[in-house]
Amino acid sequence: MSERTEASAGLTQYSPEGMMPFGPVHPSLKEPEYFKLILEGEKIVQVIPRIGYVHRGIERAAQDRTWVKDIYLFERICGICSFAHSLSFTQGVEALTKFEVPKRAKYIRVLVAELERIHSHLLWLGLVGHWAGFDTLFMWVWKDREHILDLSEAITGNRVHKSYSTFGGVRKDLPDGIADKIRPELKYIEKRATYYAELVRSEETMSVRTKGVGRVTQEKARELCPVGPLLRCTGISRDVRAEDPYAAYDDIVPDVQTRVEGDIASLLDLRIAEVIDSARMASEALDKLPGGAFKAPVTRTIPAGESDFHVEAPRGELFYFVKSSGRSVPDRVKIRTPTMANILTATEMLKGHTLADVPVVLTGMDPCFGCMDRVAVLDTNRSKEYSISGEDLRQLGIDYYRRGNR
Amino acid sequence: MQSDALRDVAARFGGALTETSKVSTISVPPEKVVDACVAVSKLPGLYHLSTITGLDEGEKIVLHYQFWEGVRFVDVKTEVGKSSPKLGSLCAVLPSATLYEAEIQDILGVDFEGNPYRGKKLLLSDDYPAEAPPPLRKEADPAEIRRLMKLE
Repeated sequence: MSERTEASAGLTQYSPEGMMPFGPVHPSLKEPEYFKLILEGEKIVQVIPRIGYVHRGIERAAQDRTWVKDIYLFERICGICSFAHSLSFTQGVEALTKFEVPKRAKYIRVLVAELERIHSHLLWLGLVGHWAGFDTLFMWVWKDREHILDLSEAITGNRVHKSYSTFGGVRKDLPDGIADKIRPELKYIEKRATYYAELVRSEETMSVRTKGVGRVTQEKARELCPVGPLLRCTGISRDVRAEDPYAAYDDIVPDVQTRVEGDIASLLDLRIAEVIDSARMASEALDKLPGGAFKAPVTRTIPAGESDFHVEAPRGELFYFVKSSGRSVPDRVKIRTPTMANILTATEMLKGHTLADVPVVLTGMDPCFGCMDRVAVLDTNRSKEYSISGEDLRQLGIDYYRRGNR
Repeated sequence: MQSDALRDVAARFGGALTETSKVSTISVPPEKVVDACVAVSKLPGLYHLSTITGLDEGEKIVLHYQFWEGVRFVDVKTEVGKSSPKLGSLCAVLPSATLYEAEIQDILGVDFEGNPYRGKKLLLSDDYPAEAPPPLRKEADPAEIRRLMKLE
């Protein structure tokens, strides 16, 4: 085994005997991670990822449930991008069938997917603000995010688990007059996002904590294959919506955002720009929305076959492999969520930084996890292991920068 | 456009190429899978390994190495016997495969020689019983696993 391989998996310099299993960390995810940080003084020299603490065996459970029940099951993998999961699964299955998805359904899918991207990115922006010690930003952003969640509820009937995409289209049509409610909200979000972009650029708290922090190079990104904003912030322009259009993305084309710095500051800039672009695309979906049916008739069994399908979830490429043998339940469904693809890159981002940067860097990858509450620390100088809570770690970061360590 | 290059790769590693509208599949023998994946990843635009999928198909375990480029996927497919499934690891050349291989090792019991997680757990709990089959295998019985783990 080469040195590079061991290093990228974070397994060198540290024997597994000291590995301390803790979690479960977040009930709403397939993949909460736990990072063991190896320090030299305050500098992080090694990061060991260990995942699976609340792995719920959803891929196995799916094999015992009918195709339709699986839509609801897969949605529960993620409490933030639930629609991306149902969208990827339903379209992956549709690829095996002759279901003619109506045009209207495709545009509605784009509308809801883009609203979900806005709320997911805003959620993330608020969290970065919180971990960087800028709680005002957190409160503002999360207040604005409520506007999108209200729209989601008005369209689909629920804020989070929308259960909206189904085989052959969407579960129900858009309510009457909803476009008049959505348009002003999108304008509002665009205005706020433009303000936030300026704010995070000019506010010292944010720039000190994010500029040059968590840097990942383009070369490293090609090697470790991260997805979504984490990849695009290194200057590589890859977006499933643009490269392999699904739903109505062949008509509503995203303006793929890239940055070259590869640090957390560039991720902030990029994600806020994506919020603005998503608002534009959602509005375009409304403008171009065709009439007609919103769902095609479907069958209970799915013809035998295998399909690879992916969508651009807020965090990046979300991949579904579906295998059917013509029964009423799937033979196998494999899911690769964006965070799974991004973990190794996140461990790279942490190396060379201090403990004070951990919250911002780990939140920076948008990991969709709550395990910041439990971080184990091993100080190689003191040869002892201890853990600190998420709140203490946050305070440590704020105090560290207040002391003038810039 | 890439078809010829893929056919070349398939021929070079004793495999066959089949194509659908979305996926080009190269089936290769297990001892050639690492070389075939490396050759595919070197083709223009195909550096992105989306994931590795493992399937239990009765007597054998089938693996798909899924690469993405543009509107198509390239699947490098291989199969290994279920009794002692063993494969080379891609990690030394494609580090992005590290966690995907470790996941398959956990849930289907495939041994990837050279993976840093070899013999360690990534997804399963540390006290997952050694005598129980890996949980995604067809013969794995959830009730039996719960009994072995003393959960009931």
